[in-house]
Amino acid sequence: MCRVRDFLGKRFHPNAYKHLMPSDGYAPLNSDFDSFFTRRLKRRMEECFAQPVTGVAGRTILILDRYTPDYNQTQITLGTLTRALNVSSYNYLGFAQARGGCADAVEEGIKLYGVTTCGSRLEGGSSDLHTVTENLVAKFLGTEDSLVSSMGFATNSTFIPALVSKGCLVISDELNHASIRFGVRQSGASVRMFRHNNVKSLETLLREVISQGQPKTHRPWKKILLIVEGLFSMEGTMIDLPAIMVLKEKYKFYLFIDEAHSIGGIGQHGRGVADYYGVDPQKIDVLMGTFTKSFGAAGGYLAGKKSIIDRLRVYSYSGPYAEAMPPPVLTQIIASMASIMGVTESIPFSHLTASSFSGDHHPGPISQRYIPAWLPLPPELSSGVEGRERLRRLSFNSYYLHRGLDKLGFITYGHPSSPIVPMLIFSPGKMMMFHRMMKDRETPIVTVVVDYPATPLQTSRVRFCVSASHTKEDIDTILRACDELGDILDLKHGLKKRERWTMDEVSRRAVELVNMPDEERQ
Amino acid sequence: MASASSTLDSVVLTFAQTLSSIERGFYRLPGSGIIERYIRSSHQNDPGRTFLEIIILFLVVGTLLQSRTRADRNNGKNFIEFTDKEIDELVDDWVPEPLSKPLSEIEAAELAAVPVVAGPNGPHPILVNTGKPAVNLASFNFTGLASNEHIKQRAIESMRNHGVGSCGPTGFYGTFDVHVKLERDIAEFLGTEGSILCSQGFSTISSVIPAFCKRGDIIVADRGVTLSIQKGMEISRSTIRWYDHNDLKSLEEVLQSVEKERRKRRLPLTRRFIITEGIFERDGTMTDLPKLIELKYKYKYRLILDESFSFGTVGRTGRGLTELYNVHATKIDMLVGSCSIGLSAAGGFCAGTHTVVEHQRINGPAYVFSASMPPLLAVSASEAINVLLDNPSLLSKLQENIRAAHSLLHPSSAVVSKPSNPASPLPRDAPVFDIAKEERLLQEVVEEAMTQGVMITKAKRVRGLELTEARPSLRLAMSSALSKADTEKAINVLIKILKRKLK
Repeated sequence: MCRVRDFLGKRFHPNAYKHLMPSDGYAPLNSDFDSFFTRRLKRRMEECFAQPVTGVAGRTILILDRYTPDYNQTQITLGTLTRALNVSSYNYLGFAQARGGCADAVEEGIKLYGVTTCGSRLEGGSSDLHTVTENLVAKFLGTEDSLVSSMGFATNSTFIPALVSKGCLVISDELNHASIRFGVRQSGASVRMFRHNNVKSLETLLREVISQGQPKTHRPWKKILLIVEGLFSMEGTMIDLPAIMVLKEKYKFYLFIDEAHSIGGIGQHGRGVADYYGVDPQKIDVLMGTFTKSFGAAGGYLAGKKSIIDRLRVYSYSGPYAEAMPPPVLTQIIASMASIMGVTESIPFSHLTASSFSGDHHPGPISQRYIPAWLPLPPELSSGVEGRERLRRLSFNSYYLHRGLDKLGFITYGHPSSPIVPMLIFSPGKMMMFHRMMKDRETPIVTVVVDYPATPLQTSRVRFCVSASHTKEDIDTILRACDELGDILDLKHGLKKRERWTMDEVSRRAVELVNMPDEERQ
Repeated sequence: MASASSTLDSVVLTFAQTLSSIERGFYRLPGSGIIERYIRSSHQNDPGRTFLEIIILFLVVGTLLQSRTRADRNNGKNFIEFTDKEIDELVDDWVPEPLSKPLSEIEAAELAAVPVVAGPNGPHPILVNTGKPAVNLASFNFTGLASNEHIKQRAIESMRNHGVGSCGPTGFYGTFDVHVKLERDIAEFLGTEGSILCSQGFSTISSVIPAFCKRGDIIVADRGVTLSIQKGMEISRSTIRWYDHNDLKSLEEVLQSVEKERRKRRLPLTRRFIITEGIFERDGTMTDLPKLIELKYKYKYRLILDESFSFGTVGRTGRGLTELYNVHATKIDMLVGSCSIGLSAAGGFCAGTHTVVEHQRINGPAYVFSASMPPLLAVSASEAINVLLDNPSLLSKLQENIRAAHSLLHPSSAVVSKPSNPASPLPRDAPVFDIAKEERLLQEVVEEAMTQGVMITKAKRVRGLELTEARPSLRLAMSSALSKADTEKAINVLIKILKRKLK
């Protein structure tokens, strides 16, 4: 249908299709088929995406109002601002702040260090602040060593090629993030995929690939690296780490976990999926994660054995070529991470021995020597009280929103403890309406709506990202809005009408909902 | 004869009866009328047409029945059936290689000797390695923006407004007003229609290339382009043709041969790109931009120019090669630069027409799938552009230092790079050509220089990844933050060490 339209359009309205036709001996910059989705679908929903904002990406955010005179072909910014409730930013622990202990630390950091370290890590861009951060990250995760990289995407795309090469096999979850695919493609290793989060499918695949060896030659694989995400950003599903660890023992593959979304937000101590399942982080070969989300900073890290990390430092593209992480970002990481862990002047001896025998991989407060002496942390942060408080609040909010939506009758995906709560809308048209109606409410709420290419077109969804900075009233507001819109747009397909709870009931029985054991949910 | 004909009759009769009973059965089926009408109208008293229809039917059925499993599975000879027990045995037998080999002693020593700055970086940083201050000829602080107090102040203000992280990808509330402003500032600075940011300088070009170049497109690239360009081209799956490093004659020959081949094989018109760097990361040589543009127009190619090292370092106000050669930036289709090198902030950008920029907003992998850069760094970059515009003396001082360094280095070694080149590596006439040996020798020079208070670095690279191995070299980065006297002193120290070591 649209091919016909393009065909006719090119002939009758050549000016409007100029960029798709060969002109003056140049082939068009993008072919009509490649840009089909952009022109015919995405352009018409432009108002849902790339909304410019200002202020802090915290509990609320300021959006720059805009309107479109021509069905989303162009967006005109009006110059006015609207404050909206923000359930969109990856601000799980609420560290996106312009005030408070972390912000003060960053200000101090900029005054001392400036905004850049001038160059790549191996060529004169290393600073003592990098060393401090890397030690702290390793301590936080319970690994031997770690390294930081200035961009989250590049942490995968430039370091994976240093781990695997030709003759190696990468087994990847079918819904892995684009950065992982980018990195694997650059590495030259073979790739096989298994069904999303399906351990059985993984085992079948492992048996096949190990027994068959490399294609054609049947030589054994040099090594097999399994790359999975801890928490999937579009699905909210969490990996079944214990089951994977059992397989790892049996099939001797190496494990790379991308904890971009789970680090900080998941687990009793906020140390990600290993913490959640009580798995020894030393047994996971490579832990990757980003600081963009829970820590309110930017960039990513890789952690593991010292020998692996050192090799990555020298053999990845980032080490010699890419810029090092800037000091303000490093300071933010140190401050936020230290306040999750808590800092003490001296670690009591008894605590040390107790933790090393009890099997607790994430001992409590760290010694003062892990953070720079100049870095000021107010007592409520350094004692770790606020960090624990934030973790608890995030956990409450995640469970509450997830189960609240379920009880109201919506279809949600993912693990209830995940701060990412995807709610299914299915139709892209409804998706746009949902987005607009949420934004135009009395208490405007900004939401992330996603469809192709991030998800299949028929399962368009809205993705809520709860934060520790939200209060229960905020979540109530969101649930109430969803409840009303769900009736208008007919989105409640999860439960039969008589099994649904009313909004008031959900709000009243919130604590009961949150404390419900995981199994009770189908 | 008669009996034979009667047998035939009975056969024909039975056949006719069977046919008519089938027909009756057929007409009793619901929807049979439609099928009948379809067959009638397609047959039209022409058996050929029906024959064609039957072939199509077979093709359709064949396609539907075709195995949909992957090519490397269950596909004939290559798949070997095993019993569960055999698989278990094979699994037990399999011994994988270690995930990564530990570094060799030399590599580990080199990693330990990487200069680490204690405190802020600048012209005279204190090194953790020696505990003493050193003259910095290693870090990219070309125009001395790193220690600019005004930029720091603006960064703090921005942090108090926006926090540190943007906490979101660009498409989903990660686009702050300051990002939009920086994009506009860069576009105005260069004189293009628009620009798009990426949160890391290195990843910018390797994301720009696959956004435009697809399978079947033709890329003509310099043999000496930096690794990020090579990786971007690899990802794009385009057809790549190479021309000799910084040799525009060779480029023209390649362009001609591509065109000839296209004519000969009557290939359709595909997108064609020339990809090169303004100042090469590898050896600091500079591209002859006017000639390159002439060729691009003559052969109708699009030009992707990586100005990572020339943006913010050459030209009267640091606009890069376009300013130096007085070429309008709109003549370069995709102008890629780095805010981290040229503007001492972070990230990179691609400037071009609106079409070029908007296309990347949905097709540039590093733009779409990555969080946007922290707002305070975007503010720093915007501010850095203002500083450059207001202080052309920064650029002239940089050039002065470069000239000073060149005039000193000339007698000690053959310098091939042009004088207006800030990232000038030091080619040497060493008698050894063995990469490992040269690397070791240079490393000794670097370490010796460090103990004498001069911070320099080798051009570090990952061996075995690039198309052609670059000759080991030292990389000196000049800075306008250093006085001429300091620069000369440091270079003299270096020359002394070089003379002793490269005897």
